[in-house]
Amino acid sequence: MKHKKILITPLPRIYLISSGEENSNPGRLVRQLNILSATMPCIVQIREKNLEAKQLLTLALQARKIQLPTGSLLLCNERADVALAAGLDGVHLPENACPADKLRAFASNFIFGCSIHSHEALHIAEQSGADYLLFGPVFDTPSKRKYGAPQGLKKLGEFCRTTSLPVYALGGVTPRNAALCMAEGAYGTAGLSIFQETARLIETIEQFYRILYP
Amino acid sequence: MIPSSPFLCVITDEALCPVTLAEQALKGGASMIQLRHKTASGNQLYSWAVEIRKRCRQYHALFIINDRLDIALASDADGVHLGQDDLPAAAARKLLGTKRIIGVSASSAEEALQAEKDGADYIGFGHIYPTISKQKEHEPLGPDNLQKTVSVISLPVIAIGGINAENAPLLISRGASAVAVISAVSRAKEPARAAYELLCSLQKGRQ
Repeated sequence: MKHKKILITPLPRIYLISSGEENSNPGRLVRQLNILSATMPCIVQIREKNLEAKQLLTLALQARKIQLPTGSLLLCNERADVALAAGLDGVHLPENACPADKLRAFASNFIFGCSIHSHEALHIAEQSGADYLLFGPVFDTPSKRKYGAPQGLKKLGEFCRTTSLPVYALGGVTPRNAALCMAEGAYGTAGLSIFQETARLIETIEQFYRILYP
Repeated sequence: MIPSSPFLCVITDEALCPVTLAEQALKGGASMIQLRHKTASGNQLYSWAVEIRKRCRQYHALFIINDRLDIALASDADGVHLGQDDLPAAAARKLLGTKRIIGVSASSAEEALQAEKDGADYIGFGHIYPTISKQKEHEPLGPDNLQKTVSVISLPVIAIGGINAENAPLLISRGASAVAVISAVSRAKEPARAAYELLCSLQKGRQ
């Protein structure tokens, strides 16, 4: 069941995922967002699996207060209830999450993204009316090593050519290899570790922008 | 609508198939089933929820989901049960509207009063007795604390924690509207029969 929806502004091509360490090292997301407010539009996903819903809502409300450039999207990982309560723009769904169409029934204005690691997951994401896809890990990245070898550029290209949905390349993507992802048909690039160093965040974003918006 | 007092709430056991357990509990006369699973994926929870909701409708019982308001809305459950670390009841109420039920866990009269103020429909109060089902941060509250809480709020109170057919009547006589159990039903040889016996025991507490 595909939905019809016209986005007023196109999706940003650069996608930042939060550290996942807000429980042990709180404040980083807010620092990142404060810096991003002075740059170009991005997608920001709050992905803090170690927080209980109450803490996650507090963080999401804090994040929402920070004004981001027009066209930016603030999403929450999986929890559509928290995203709604905090007035976010949408939800990013892991592969094993509740299907997007079941959530869209009560969150009709939301952007829904889906992580995909297989063709089957791609098919399910398309059927459930996803707005974008997140594919990875494309390159080697320390946080994903336990799941085995990276999927590689070739596979990224294969997925991009199979779907009409925008695909973000994730996993070890840097300003140096982002162009390779775009050449394979990626719509944009996503990252976590590369955005952690807040002192260099503006520079990193600008480098990505030059490649993603040629 | 909260079932008329006294009633039985059965909470699913993480170690067993929640759908099978719910079916057994319903056969035994439970009027409320709570799906509680902290580690299952969203997709798995949603699939279970749809199956349990169907069965609850057949038996005219309420179906409540622990913590995951998103799954409750997606699966058209009757409501949610929220712990003190879950979404605040006031925020949940805005998303659920007035037709769905919100239960809130409380372990003191103060928490129960706050939940009442925030728009909860019932209070889950416990743990009353020692329990193996959950890791606990405080001592068992006992029937006296239950009675004290019941006396200061007007919402129905569901007693939880270490409850069985022997100690349940006392809790009803102290003002609980219902009891909630996990292991007393889930770990019984015949869960449906255990649920039925618990339900019968509740009647004794009314006298």
